[in-house]
Amino acid sequence: MSFAVSMQNISKRFGMVQALDNVSFEVQAGTIHALVGENGAGKTTLIRALYGAMMPDDGSILIGGKTVKFRNSADAIGHRIGMVSQHYGIIGELTNLENLVLGSEGSAILNKVAMQARATELATSMGFEFDWDAESSTLGPAGGQKLEILKLLWRDSQIMILDEPTAMLSPQDSEALFVSLKQLAEKGATVIVVTHRVAEVFQHCKRVTVLRGGIKIADHNVDDVTPNQLAEEIVGGAVMERPQPVSSSKSSVRLKIDQLSVRGEKGDMAVRNLNLEVKMGQLVGIAGVDGNGQRELFHALIGVTRPISGTFSFDGSQWDSESSRTRITEGLRIIPEDRHEEGIIEDWSLLDSAALGLQRLPAFKNLSKGTKKQAPSMAEMFDTKFGRLSDEIASLSGGNQQRFVAGRALSLDAQLILAFQPARGLDLNSTTKVYNEIRRVCQAGACAIVVSFDLDELLDFCDRIVVMAHGELYEPQTEVARDRAAIGRLMVGAG
Amino acid sequence: MNSFLLQVVTMSAPLLLLAMAGYASERSGVINIGLEGKMLTACFVCAAFAPQFGAIGGVVMAILAGIVISMLHWTLTQVYRIDHIVSGMAINLLASGGTGFLEASGFAKNTLTEAQRLPLWFYYAVALLAPFLLFWAANHTRFGLQHKSVGSDPSKARLLGINPQRIRLLALTLTGVFSGLAGSLLVSETSTFTKDMTAGRGYIALAALILGGWRPIPAALSCLLFGLATAVQIQLSGKPMFGMQIPSEIWKMLPYIVTLLALAGLLGRNRTPAGLGKH
Repeated sequence: MSFAVSMQNISKRFGMVQALDNVSFEVQAGTIHALVGENGAGKTTLIRALYGAMMPDDGSILIGGKTVKFRNSADAIGHRIGMVSQHYGIIGELTNLENLVLGSEGSAILNKVAMQARATELATSMGFEFDWDAESSTLGPAGGQKLEILKLLWRDSQIMILDEPTAMLSPQDSEALFVSLKQLAEKGATVIVVTHRVAEVFQHCKRVTVLRGGIKIADHNVDDVTPNQLAEEIVGGAVMERPQPVSSSKSSVRLKIDQLSVRGEKGDMAVRNLNLEVKMGQLVGIAGVDGNGQRELFHALIGVTRPISGTFSFDGSQWDSESSRTRITEGLRIIPEDRHEEGIIEDWSLLDSAALGLQRLPAFKNLSKGTKKQAPSMAEMFDTKFGRLSDEIASLSGGNQQRFVAGRALSLDAQLILAFQPARGLDLNSTTKVYNEIRRVCQAGACAIVVSFDLDELLDFCDRIVVMAHGELYEPQTEVARDRAAIGRLMVGAG
Repeated sequence: MNSFLLQVVTMSAPLLLLAMAGYASERSGVINIGLEGKMLTACFVCAAFAPQFGAIGGVVMAILAGIVISMLHWTLTQVYRIDHIVSGMAINLLASGGTGFLEASGFAKNTLTEAQRLPLWFYYAVALLAPFLLFWAANHTRFGLQHKSVGSDPSKARLLGINPQRIRLLALTLTGVFSGLAGSLLVSETSTFTKDMTAGRGYIALAALILGGWRPIPAALSCLLFGLATAVQIQLSGKPMFGMQIPSEIWKMLPYIVTLLALAGLLGRNRTPAGLGKH
């Protein structure tokens, strides 16, 4: 059998960490191949080697049966390999058309008319639509992902690598993405999808390779393996039991949101007359497609945005007229949506990061003592892997940064936890751990609101699910409170 | 009126060329606070070499000097990854001290004759065309697009097969050319080199660049605004106003106050290249 990609005995070491140990990875042409594993299993390192973004210490790479040596990504692109990285390669300051052609412009002088014609043609072939002259910063996650796919087509990539492509997409958009990928595979493209969502593997992929701790564990035809078996191979043992959601508690109301309206970035009404009460001990999940006001609601509760009308209070304290500082002192904790933008400062050490946002709490009265005491336990809560506490937080992998940020939010006397996609970039057991910990803090008397675009995750972990659509909040009827289809209908505004 | 217009042009053209030098560098992500030093060196080199090599030779040498110093900046910031501000300040101090010392030792003493200077209209023509040319290049050429992209996000550009270091090398070469021209123009206007003759133009050019949102045409217009304010100052300085004798020092502040007000008031949307100073 000929392989489109064959990586043989790849090894790579970063300092003390053996990221890849003698890993071989083969992909048949024209298939969708899943690469799965926990964080730190070596998935990203392996595909970075394939994309020329990193040189392996040892091993060889064959493309279409020929040995190649990639010194940089330009070499890999030359072999018609394309990659969509986890954080997207789209530059917000450029227009959609400029992003599409960047790095593969064809000629020294750009023929914009011809470019736009071909761009539109490619978009139409995939059923996409773009305003080519608009700045890409206006694209949402789904739009960004579509533009990334078009970039691969623009470069005529035959081998397409997608790193966690659905991490930020709604169920519908994820579905649409895989429809596109199947379409491409049928035309002969080879697609490698890095994912931690086992369901995606079974619904959409033909083969699957499992990595764990830098070692290849297994290679399967997807039809020959069960989801449980695969999950156990990924985790390296039993999959953690997921907690049973508890029924809505009858305790006192802590957070009360009354007729809240918030404007979005573009001046539109992002949140409309929203009412919500969260009781002590409750873990409320907000389901909904990205961009339906979840972000603006959180920003208003945190104090980043001023609401245009309405009030909200926590334990009777009128938070809408209090500073963020007071809210934090009274127990507001955040696991933000975009940890790069809102959760961490990349070149801060883990020690300093421990106090970021919480610097006025008594625990950090003496900053250096406080951080030395708190940082290790914050890191430990979710087994953040790091070198030294004095290392830059940027030196951690994305998943480990997320673990640290989650640990920080749940460490110090949290009373109201706002978590936006807390499982982003986390694997099965880490996700379970984070939710377990949120639940534990809630049982001790706090309450939490979680926004996720992954409905299954919310169904698995939350006590109560509400839906946000077009800035309004809907609560499913009690008899269908946990009915996937009913909630899904509310999400698209067809309740 | 004609002489007033000429004064505006005289005051703005060197700034404009220098602002274009700054544009080439900063839009590619390299902070360039060393424009002052680059221009000063170019002034000195032009004044020192034009008597021997003629008008064209002098300008060519000035451009080469601009490029050499830009390459120094590139090496320090892109190869050794020294802080861009530190490297720029070092260049400014080096240029001021170095040219001052050489001038005191008897170099570049001659007053340039007509034949040793390129006609001013040549510079003015370049200054008029350059912003449009750069604007066109930014939007219609491969280099322009890649130039913008490395200024916005060098690591993403790298993943698309672009080599940010290489693009910045070319960008800084362009910076060298424009600062060389700016320096020779200034010397052509005054005919002699004097110590620290650039008198802060590097910083004003940078302010114009910021005011123009790192876009060539608005940056050029900002330079014209400054030139206008300077010309007004020259016209009105020493004349009584409202029956009062306003000290010339107050008038001399005018262009700077205009710049300051413009920077404070007109900066709407933040257009700072996101990759400025990043690798």
